[in-house]
Amino acid sequence: MTLATQTHGTAKAFLAAGAFWFLAGTVFGLIAAIHLVAPEFFNNVPFLVFGRTRPVHVNTVIFGFTASTLIGCAYYYVPALLRTPLWSERLGWVSWFSWNLTVLSGFFTFPFGFTQGREYAEYLWIFDVSLVVAMLAMIVNFTMTVATRIENVLYVSVWYALGACLWSAANYPIGNVMWHPLTGALPGLLDSVFLWFYGHNLVGMLLTPLSIAVVYYVVPRVARTPLYSHTLSLIGFWTLVSMYAHIGGHHILQAPIPNWLKTISVVDSVAMIVPVFTVLVNVWLTARGHGARLWRDPAARFIMAGTAWYLVTCIQGPLQSLPSIQKVTHFTNWTIGHAHIAVLGFSGMIALGGLWHILPLVTGRPLHSPRLVNLQFALLTFGLAGFFAVLTAAGLIQGEAWHNGETVYRVLPEIAVYMALRAMFGVSILAASAIGLYVAIMSLRPAPGSVPATSCGTSLHPAPNSVPATSCGGTPKSSCTATVPDQEAAP
Amino acid sequence: MKMTPALAMVGSLLVFWASVLVAIILPAITMTETPSTAWRPWTSAETAGHDLYVKNGCSYCHSLYVRVSDWDLGADRIAERGDYAGQNPAILGTERTGPDLSQDGGEHPDDWHWAHFTNPRYTRPLSLMPSWEFLGWPAVSNLTAYVQSLGSRDADYRVARQQRWKAPAVRAYAGGPDVNVDWLHAQVPAGWLAMPNPYPATEAALQRGQKIYEGFCLNCHGPVGDGQGVAEKYLSPPPLNFTTLKRHLAQGRYVGGLFYYQIMNGITGTAMPYFKHELESEKIWDVSNFMAVRFLGYTDAGTAPRGIEAAYEPAWSNAFQSLAPKGVRP
Ligand code: HEC
Ligand code: HEC
Ligand code: HEM
Ligand code: HEM
Repeated sequence: MTLATQTHGTAKAFLAAGAFWFLAGTVFGLIAAIHLVAPEFFNNVPFLVFGRTRPVHVNTVIFGFTASTLIGCAYYYVPALLRTPLWSERLGWVSWFSWNLTVLSGFFTFPFGFTQGREYAEYLWIFDVSLVVAMLAMIVNFTMTVATRIENVLYVSVWYALGACLWSAANYPIGNVMWHPLTGALPGLLDSVFLWFYGHNLVGMLLTPLSIAVVYYVVPRVARTPLYSHTLSLIGFWTLVSMYAHIGGHHILQAPIPNWLKTISVVDSVAMIVPVFTVLVNVWLTARGHGARLWRDPAARFIMAGTAWYLVTCIQGPLQSLPSIQKVTHFTNWTIGHAHIAVLGFSGMIALGGLWHILPLVTGRPLHSPRLVNLQFALLTFGLAGFFAVLTAAGLIQGEAWHNGETVYRVLPEIAVYMALRAMFGVSILAASAIGLYVAIMSLRPAPGSVPATSCGTSLHPAPNSVPATSCGGTPKSSCTATVPDQEAAP
Repeated sequence: MKMTPALAMVGSLLVFWASVLVAIILPAITMTETPSTAWRPWTSAETAGHDLYVKNGCSYCHSLYVRVSDWDLGADRIAERGDYAGQNPAILGTERTGPDLSQDGGEHPDDWHWAHFTNPRYTRPLSLMPSWEFLGWPAVSNLTAYVQSLGSRDADYRVARQQRWKAPAVRAYAGGPDVNVDWLHAQVPAGWLAMPNPYPATEAALQRGQKIYEGFCLNCHGPVGDGQGVAEKYLSPPPLNFTTLKRHLAQGRYVGGLFYYQIMNGITGTAMPYFKHELESEKIWDVSNFMAVRFLGYTDAGTAPRGIEAAYEPAWSNAFQSLAPKGVRP
C-alpha cells in the first residue's frame, strides 16, 4: 500500500494541510492587523506591506484553512456515508496537489506584487486553473464514489458535498473571469457584478454547504440519535441554492449597478433566513436532550459553537443587506467583523470540529490531546468574541461618524484603540491555530512501534439512513479508540 | 422526496445556473457601458499607475465610488455607471480604511502626492497608509498620474487649477520671505484680513489647538512652526515658516481671520490643503490661536471689532496682545 493509494490518504492530507494553512494564514492576518495599529512597524518592507499581505491572509484562511479542512472531511464522510471506499485515492491526491499549489502560490505571488487584485479572485490565472482542476477531480471522484456506492440512501451531507463541488466548479471560473487570463477581469462596472456574484458564492456555495454537511454528519453521530427531520434537510438544501446564489449584489448595493439587481439582492438576502433557520432548527432539535454529550465532546463542542456563530452571522447578514442599515455599516470594520464570525466562527469552527472528529476516525487512534483541543476552543472563542465586539464597535463608530459628516481621516484616531485590541485578540487566535497544528501533527504521526492504522472508521462503517451514528466519537473526549463496530481488515 | 444522485446533482445544477442566468448573464446583456460626460481614456502613465494600484492592493483600503450619503472627498460628484467604461479592472473596493479616491484628481498638487506616497505621515501625521517609497521612481510618479486622473474630466479641471496657481506661488517664494508673504496675503479677501479671532485663547483652547496642529499640520510646518517639517524637502513651495509672519501681520495687526481663511480654503497650487471638510469652525479658530500664540507670540483674539460676546466665553484678557511683535501697533 503506497502513500498514493492508502485508505483515507487524501482525507488525511487535506486535514493536515488545513491545520497548517490555519497557522500560516493567521500569521499574515496578524501582520496585517499590526499594520493597522502601527503602520511603520514594517516600514518599506515590500513583501510585508498591508496591501500585499492582506490577500495572503484572506485567501489562505479561506482556501487553505477552512476549505481544505472541510474538503478533507468530505473525503472522509462521503465514502463513509456511502459505505464504499473512495473511488480513487490517486485522483484524490491530484486534487490535493493542485488545490494546495494554488494556496501556496499566494505566498510567493501576492507579497511580490503579482496578483489579479480583485478581492477573493487574486490568484494568477495559472493557479486558477490548478484550483479548477482540483475541483473537477473532486467532482469525478465523488460522483464515481456515489456511482459505486453500497448504501443506497444519500445522506444529506452527501448532497451538500456534491453541490458544493458542482457549484464552485462553475462559480470560480465565472468570478475569476478565467477566459481573460491576463487581467482575470472584465472592463467596466460589469466586472463588479461578476466579482461579487463570485465572492458571495465563494462563501455561500463552497464554505457554507461544506460546513453544513459536517454539522449534519457529526451532530447525530455524537448525540447518537437520528437526524430530527428529513423534510427540513430538504428545505434547507433547496432554499440555500435557490436563494443564496444570486444575492451577491448586496456587496455593491450602493454602487451604480442596476436597481433590479439591488432589489433581488436585498429581498432574497432577507429570505436567506429560511435556509439558515431550517438547518439550525433541524440540527438543534437533533441535539436537544443530548447537550451534555455534545458539549463534553471536544469536536462536537466546536460544531455547536459553529452553529451559534452561524446564527449570529445570518442575523447580521440580512440586516446589513437592508439599504438603511448598510448606509452606515458599509465600508467599515463592521463588515470585517461579519467576515470573521462567518469565516472563522461559522466555517472555521465547524472545520475544526470536523477535523477533531474525523482525525481519530482516519488514524484509528484517539486524538493526541483532547485537553489541548479544548484549550484551542477556549482561545478561539475568546479571540473571536473579542474580534466581533471590537470590530463591530469600530465599524459603528466609523459609520455613524462618516454619516454625520466627519472625514475618514478624522475618525482614524477614534478606532485606533479597537485596532490595537483586535491585534491582541488576534494573538489568542494565532495561539489557537498553533496548538491546532501541533495536535494535528501529533495525532497524525504514526504511533511508535504500531502498524499503520486501519482499525477505526474504515470506509465500511455503518451509515444507516439518517443516522450516521456509530459509537465512534460519542464517548467523552472523542477518544475514538477501537470501539467502532464492523471493523474491517486492511484492504 | 427522495434524494437520488440524479436529483441532487442535476437539480442543484439547474437551480444554480438559473441564478447565473439572472445575476450574471442578464446584467451582462443589459448593462450598458455608455461613457459618462466626465469620462475620458487614460494616458499611458495613468494606465501604469492603475496597474500599480491593482497590484499593490490599494483597493483594500480605498473605494472608488461616491454614494449619495457621503461627505468626504469627492462628495460633490456621485458615481455613475458610465464613469467606469473600459476600465480594466475597475475595483470598487469594500473598505474605507482610507478615503474614497474616485474624485481625488486635483485635490492636491503633484508634490503633495510625492511626499505622501514616500511616507503618508509626512503630509498626514495620523495616517494608516503604508509608505510606498520602496516602489521608487517612476512608480510613484505613475501612481500620482493615476490618482490625479481620478474623476476624469472633472479631475482635469481641478489639476489645471492646481497648475495655474502653482506658478505664481513658486515665483513668490523665489522672491524671498517678504515677497512671498505679501503675495499670499494679497490673495486673501479683505473681509477676512480685517477680522480678529473672535474666541479667547484660554489655556484649554490652546491645548485643543495644539492637538489639531499635531494631528494635521505638524510634519509640514514643523514642531516650532518654522516650516521645517519632514515633508519640507519634497514640497515646492515649502510649508510656510510662520515666524516670518511676525513682520507681516495683516494690516499691521490682524492674524485670526487670515489664518482662518487660509486653513479653511487651503492654498491651491501649493501643498497647503484645505481643511473645510475636516475641521469645523471651532477647531480652526483654536488652531489659529495656537499658532498665533506659539509661533508669533501674539494673538488678536478677543480684540475689536468683535460683536456680541459668545455665551460661553470665560472672563479672559488677552495677555498675548502686549507681546505684539516689533512694528505692530496693538
Ligand atoms: C492600510 C490602508 C491603505 C492602503 C493599503 C493604501 N492607503 Fe491610501 N490612504 C489610507 C489612509 C488611512 C488615508 C488617509 C490619510 C492620508 O491621507 O494619508 C489614505 C490617503 C490616500 C490618498 C490621499 C487622499 C487625499 O486626497 O487626501 C491617496 C491619493 C492615497 N491614499 C492613495 C493610495 C494608493 C495609490 C495606494 C496604493 C499604492 C494606497 N493609497 C494604499 C490608507 C491606505
Ligand atoms: C502638506 C503640507 C502642509 C500641511 C499638512 C499644512 N500646511 Fe499649511 N502650508 C503649507 C504650504 C506649502 C503653505 C504655503 C507656502 C507658500 O506658499 O509659501 C502653507 C501655508 C499655510 C498658511 C498661510 C499663512 C499665511 O500667512 O498666509 C497657514 C495659516 C497654514 N499653512 C496653516 C496650516 C495649518 C493650521 C495646518 C494644519 C491644520 C497646515 N497648515 C497644514 C503646507 C502645509
Ligand atoms: C444569511 C446569510 C448572509 C447574508 C444575508 C450576508 C450578507 C452580507 C452582506 C450584505 C455583506 C456585505 C457587507 C458590506 O460590504 O457592507 C456580507 C459580507 C461578507 N459576508 Fe456575509 N452574509 C451572510 C452569510 C455569510 C456567511 C455564511 C459567510 C461565510 C461563510 C459570509 C461571509 C461574508 C464575508 C467574508 C463578507 C465580506 C466580503 C467583503 O467585503 O470582503 N456571510 N455579507
Ligand atoms: C491572528 C488572527 C487574525 C487577525 C489579526 C486577522 C486580521 C485581519 C485583518 C487586519 C484583515 C483586514 C481587515 C481590513 O481590511 O481592514 C482581515 C481580513 C479578513 N480575515 Fe482575518 N485575521 C485573523 C484571523 C482570521 C481567521 C482565522 C480567518 C478565517 C478563518 C480570517 C478571515 C478573514 C477574512 C475572510 C477577511 C476579509 C474580510 C473582508 O474583506 O471583509 N481571519 N483579517
